[in-house]
Amino acid sequence: MKNVFDIKNSILYILFSTILLSGCALPYLKPVKQLNNIISRPYENHREPKLGLKWLAVLTKSNEREQIELIDLRLRRKVNLPGLNRSDALPISLAVNSNGNRVVFVRQRGDLTELYMYRRGIGTLQKLDLSPKGVPRRVSIDGSGRILAVEVSREGRWDIDIIRIPN
Amino acid sequence: MKALIFLFGVLGLFGCRPQVDRIADDFFSRNQQDPTLSGNGDQIALIVEKQGKPTVEMRNLKDGRIIYLRNLSRYQPHSSPSLSWSGRYLALIAQKTKTQFIIIKDRISGKLHHLRVPGNYIPIRLSLSPDASNLALQLINKGKFRVQIFDLSHFLEPDLPQRITSQDL
Repeated sequence: MKNVFDIKNSILYILFSTILLSGCALPYLKPVKQLNNIISRPYENHREPKLGLKWLAVLTKSNEREQIELIDLRLRRKVNLPGLNRSDALPISLAVNSNGNRVVFVRQRGDLTELYMYRRGIGTLQKLDLSPKGVPRRVSIDGSGRILAVEVSREGRWDIDIIRIPN
Repeated sequence: MKALIFLFGVLGLFGCRPQVDRIADDFFSRNQQDPTLSGNGDQIALIVEKQGKPTVEMRNLKDGRIIYLRNLSRYQPHSSPSLSWSGRYLALIAQKTKTQFIIIKDRISGKLHHLRVPGNYIPIRLSLSPDASNLALQLINKGKFRVQIFDLSHFLEPDLPQRITSQDL
């Protein structure tokens, strides 16, 4: 009789321990402090984060000016993007491919809202036309940087255009 | 010579022009917003309005087929979807009883990970890294935006391309 109680207690103990242990293993968000220190300066506002494999592209507002920033997560530092940001243009959304070489973004300049691709390796900016015409808003890019998905407003409704870049 | 110049002109104008497709629409999903591509470019996740509720939808880009996502409809409205490299993981902002939280769906194991945002922050946008090791969150607190990066490698298996080269990094 005593043995039966021992077995019952053992089973209960194992069951209780398992529940406790699995409770401790519940998934949670673990901040990456070294990286967050780089992108959490109190005088800057950051929005629209997009991650590549080792890259973070983000819109940053500093001194009333909004611009695109690219951060190398391995080296933990910002990367120069010559020719990308303009003082007379407002970036709205952005995306980066997996190796950080291509940044696509939507920006507003005067009455125009346009889609661009920036090739970091050669420092060139290419305007991508929408057909039929529409107003782009959000954009996504695949890992290779050759396929884009763009949210476009046309005649009062939102469409998604898939754009394949030949090279 | 003139013919050659004309040919080069035509090729220059049309040969490298990006090809544009449109995602197929159906009766139940009118507006399509917030697209995100998987790292390998095979799948897309987007937000569509279904019976007035913003709902995440996933499609195969090659044939336009809708990929069925179980157990997500009870946490609407959905926003800011993001896919890993192969589309194994889908991360998004969801809501239950007026509280916003993060869901990461593992499409292989079927697991649905619910993640609370630490502190008094409200999640606005998110981005999952292609290998699913990190999650970037745009948060708001007292009218101020900030971006924070979180490590997921302690509970998600990596979703890496089959062959990774230094160029991919």
